[in-house]
Amino acid sequence: MRPPNAEPMLPGLFRQLFPAVAGLPLGPLLTLSLRSLARRRPGLFERLGESRSACFGIDPVDLAFAFRVVPEGQRSSVRVVSKDEAARSDVQIKGPLLTLLGLLDGTLDGDAMFFSRVISISGRTEAVLALRNTIEDAELRPADLLGLHGILARCVDTGVLGALSIARRLADKNPSGAREA
Amino acid sequence: MTMTRLELVCPAGTPATLRAAVQAGADAVYCGFRDETNARNFPGLNFSRDELAEGVRFAHDHGSKVLVAINTFARVDDVDIWKKAADAAAESGADAIIAADFAVLDHVAKNHSQIRLHLSVQAAAATPEAIGFYAAQFGIRRVVLPRVLSLQEIAALNRAIDVETEAFVFGGLCVMIEGRCYLSSYATGKSPNLNGVCSPPQMVSYDEEPGGTTARLSGFTIDRYERGQPVGYPTLCKGKFKADGRTSHLFEDPVSLNAGGMIAGLKAAGVTALKIEGRQRGKGYVSEVVRAFRKAVDAVEKGGEPLDIGRLLAGQSEGARQTAGAYEKKWR
Amino acid sequence: MPEIARTETMLTLGPVFFHWSPDRLLDFYRRIADEAPVERVHVGEVVCGKRMPFSDPAWPAAIERLERGGKQVVLSTLAAPATVRERKSLEDICGDERLVEINDVSGLPSRSGKAFVTGPFINVYNEASAKFLIKLGAQTICPPVELSFAAAGAMSVKCPEAEFEIFAFGRLPLALSGRCYHARIHGLHKDSCQFTCERDPDGLAVDTLDDQQFLAINGVQTLSNQVQAFCPAPDALASKGIRRLRLSPQTCDMVEVARIYRRLADGREEPEDARFALSCLDLPGTLVDGCAHARPGWQVIASP
Repeated sequence: MRPPNAEPMLPGLFRQLFPAVAGLPLGPLLTLSLRSLARRRPGLFERLGESRSACFGIDPVDLAFAFRVVPEGQRSSVRVVSKDEAARSDVQIKGPLLTLLGLLDGTLDGDAMFFSRVISISGRTEAVLALRNTIEDAELRPADLLGLHGILARCVDTGVLGALSIARRLADKNPSGAREA
Repeated sequence: MTMTRLELVCPAGTPATLRAAVQAGADAVYCGFRDETNARNFPGLNFSRDELAEGVRFAHDHGSKVLVAINTFARVDDVDIWKKAADAAAESGADAIIAADFAVLDHVAKNHSQIRLHLSVQAAAATPEAIGFYAAQFGIRRVVLPRVLSLQEIAALNRAIDVETEAFVFGGLCVMIEGRCYLSSYATGKSPNLNGVCSPPQMVSYDEEPGGTTARLSGFTIDRYERGQPVGYPTLCKGKFKADGRTSHLFEDPVSLNAGGMIAGLKAAGVTALKIEGRQRGKGYVSEVVRAFRKAVDAVEKGGEPLDIGRLLAGQSEGARQTAGAYEKKWR
Repeated sequence: MPEIARTETMLTLGPVFFHWSPDRLLDFYRRIADEAPVERVHVGEVVCGKRMPFSDPAWPAAIERLERGGKQVVLSTLAAPATVRERKSLEDICGDERLVEINDVSGLPSRSGKAFVTGPFINVYNEASAKFLIKLGAQTICPPVELSFAAAGAMSVKCPEAEFEIFAFGRLPLALSGRCYHARIHGLHKDSCQFTCERDPDGLAVDTLDDQQFLAINGVQTLSNQVQAFCPAPDALASKGIRRLRLSPQTCDMVEVARIYRRLADGREEPEDARFALSCLDLPGTLVDGCAHARPGWQVIASP
């Protein structure tokens, strides 16, 4: 069991690729990437409207921890929290990690995932909808979140998306894993 | 009967979806501003003025049209908001404005004669007299038909009117006459006509209870699902209710419209354009549905065998069940 | 209690939404003609054209009796005309010399230029739309039931050339469909419906799975289960320039309903007392007034 205060760290390969941020724990690292995204694409966060200041508890059911995200533009924050704390957010989104990542890059359709109950949502439904529509329009690539450009960005996108796709296929073959509807 | 090619009109809730629809083969996309002037005023959806102008450029570059829905009813003392939305749509270079309110129609007819006016389904114009009235008063060029007409009625209507007709072929199905339904207002205080929303998400709750998951709207139980069973969005008219000692989906089963098998029939009935519902749906959905309908329409235009579009798209509808709706008379 | 000068507020009895037999209709209007303190009475079928062959024979006698009783008669028309027969009937009624209530835009071409009332099925939400209709001949405008009293008042202030009317009493007409729910619930199709809606003269209650009272069906129409009982004080009406209150027929004692509203409008009864008096009647649902206050319609706000 992970002690409550120890934040998870990036895997070794990533630490070597991005030495500048590699020393940061996961929460501050994601906060940094979200804020840098807000700097580069401010319009994206406007789409959230009033839901910018909502607190989203994102709970990957196959991980031991969860995230609390406030997507407030350049004041955004991501914190790694316990499952209990995530459950106390304005909005709770629960689902397998690979599905949640698929929603983020637009590979999977949020409506279909929700109605087939692969992911579950509770709390302020309008904030979930705003987030979902914003992500839909954002067409995010993994490199966007990492603030990368050029060839490095393309390599990371191909690599990460390819890896995710393989992981999803493996998970699909595993009867206990999540299935796409 | 029209001899022109059927126009495929597709939804765009965001700029990314607009691009996806255009690239999937939409002849026209329809969209709205990010405010209460359009009937899909959901959080995170729709276009800013700049995004619309950019969307129009993108669509025109790819040979598609853009139709702008300003199809709610203007609020008293705030009619200017609706007028300004119409002005912005006209300035963006869009190809048509879709409106329902007399005030908006009148403003566009008097000030923007260069842009086409389409009568929104929210105006619920279903007779030659009503459509003729809108044509005479405002010069509307097309009417979006209420989703309660049968194929025979559409054919008869088209013989009696001089304007084009646009018919819904896929997506959510309103069982009530649109533009004249105040159910959402009664339950939630927010309505399609005034706020551009029906059964708004901020009034929705999914409660885990011993009997299963209960979907409520504004505290009213709309449906209940056993554990693990797929859930639906608690749209009022799709709920399960008790009446006369029976429990049923009284108003409409949780199905969605798929008139993909009726494209040739709609063309024969004189329809000019086919409309896909779903500005609230994502890029993946829009791309897939538009591509399927593009193929189906092209097949009909070539006079070939109609495609089995139902099988093509079964996974994309709510609850995965579909109906041809009112186009088949037995629906009533 | 001292007699207060009678205000300008007039009472209108709206059309009967339900499938009542011709005998019931005649009995009803006879009593209204003789006893109900209303200035104006709407007659005619609004909800379903299929019922017209049944009710049509009752109208001439009802109209004659009401006019003899000093009531102004308004001919109400179908809210969703569709068949050739329905459209022809609409056109015929629109040619009448009496005032006509337009409930669908289909009636406007044949009525333009002559005085008419727009009923709550015509979407008039703002002063620009109201002015457009007034130019065509609209004399009284009863906005959709979801529009608040404040919004109707704001329109009225900007359009003094027409009378504005508020839907004050009765189950709220919330929706119309191409599909008949009475037929559907009895496993029938609309085209061979057997007129089962006749069994429910106030509409058939629709409850939620948790037995919350919610809606009511009446053929192709959906109404609220609860009964609208908007009881404004006379000065609230005067300040907004609202000239008329519409009372929508239910099977309860509508003469008594009219008397209560007359006392309310004349300032002889407080809103609270009027609501209490209404609640003592044999009503199909509890009293609500949310719509008039720009709140969810099922709520009870109860002022002004």
